[in-house]
Amino acid sequence: MKMADLIDGNPYLLLMLQHFNIDFRVSDRTVLQLCNQYDIGEQLFISIANLYNGSGIRGERPFTRKDMLQVIDFLKSSHNYYRFDKYPQISTCIRQLQENHPEKELKLLEKFFNEYFTEVREHLDYEDEVAFPYFITLLGNDKQNNDREIYSSREYSDHHTDIELKLKDLKNLLLKYIKIDNDLDLRRKLFMSLYELEFDLYIHSLIEETILIPSGIDIEREQNE
Amino acid sequence: MNKSAQLHIAILESSKIICEGIQAILYQSDMDCRVYRLDTLDDLIGLLEANPVDILIANPVQFVNREKEIQKIRKNYPSLAVAGIDFGMMHKPSTLTDITFTLYDSTEHIVHLLLKLDKKSQSQPNEKEGEENLTKREIEVLTGLVNGMLNKEIADALNISIHTVVRHRKNIAMKTGIRSQSGLTIYAISKKIISIEDIDI
Repeated sequence: MKMADLIDGNPYLLLMLQHFNIDFRVSDRTVLQLCNQYDIGEQLFISIANLYNGSGIRGERPFTRKDMLQVIDFLKSSHNYYRFDKYPQISTCIRQLQENHPEKELKLLEKFFNEYFTEVREHLDYEDEVAFPYFITLLGNDKQNNDREIYSSREYSDHHTDIELKLKDLKNLLLKYIKIDNDLDLRRKLFMSLYELEFDLYIHSLIEETILIPSGIDIEREQNE
Repeated sequence: MNKSAQLHIAILESSKIICEGIQAILYQSDMDCRVYRLDTLDDLIGLLEANPVDILIANPVQFVNREKEIQKIRKNYPSLAVAGIDFGMMHKPSTLTDITFTLYDSTEHIVHLLLKLDKKSQSQPNEKEGEENLTKREIEVLTGLVNGMLNKEIADALNISIHTVVRHRKNIAMKTGIRSQSGLTIYAISKKIISIEDIDI
């Protein structure tokens, strides 16, 4: 399948390519060719693309250790996208709206968004500084006495749900309740940014819950045998 | 069947024959309704104080010489819709009713009119509640939440159980689409349920 056609079917795949550090000027290359060029596991690539396309990845384990390392790189790259691309973009929109409309509701909205993003950042930091390094050691060693257990899948998904719910609140507030006259352009940009963030975060969570953690559990089990 | 969709209909009519006839029409139709039968205007006032009533069906001739009382009732219960029964004795349409039907109208027409009445009164914008239609209790729970009270504190303040508070919170979240406390604060401000000055930034 040609990569360009895949992208045409779902432009969100551009985000996926970015997280893989792949330039999206893919010319005529097929998925397989692209994967070979960037040394990425084809099965992994397709699994994640399926997630972006909404079709899930049932029964596609096991992934290799090399795949898992690539997943972690992918996730870390996403973190940078959230921290340095999405967050400033949304923050600027809200700041601008607030300057045009000094009502208290908007100050509260900005506060709400900042609280929300602080939670997100804490989650990202935890993953970068604790969870991922742990996984990497797990993947690197054959037999290792690991004192810590993998952050249970359930806890991970609970935390993701919290963050997602706050983002939904934000969208509903903008869409249904906060009264702002004019600045339709700005509000639209803000809303679309939130929507893109929500989507990518959702896929991010799915990757962690359906690829990273289960594979990590498999490896831990292997090691304990 | 959803309790809140049930129509509460009061029939103010002293003729038993007329009352029975209207009640039969209502029960035979598809409408999910609860019917109260009243003899006098005072009975109506008593009923309104104890129960929610969506539609009042009455012969407007009974309102003659008691217009002030009726207007007061309509003012105190703005969501009450009034359907007048025309016995053929009215020379001009009553200003106190929303719609009128006659003794000779078909069942379908009468039911149709009543349903239209109900839809109209439901879609009237309510300053405090808005389209989400939060109940009075839900607004109380929301106010507690927004003031930073914990579930237990809200339960104690309102004299209800914690389970009830939790249930109200679920309903609030479902109706508004907002779950977090900070989100609900912004919601409450934009709906003027609390005053902006109450919030410190």
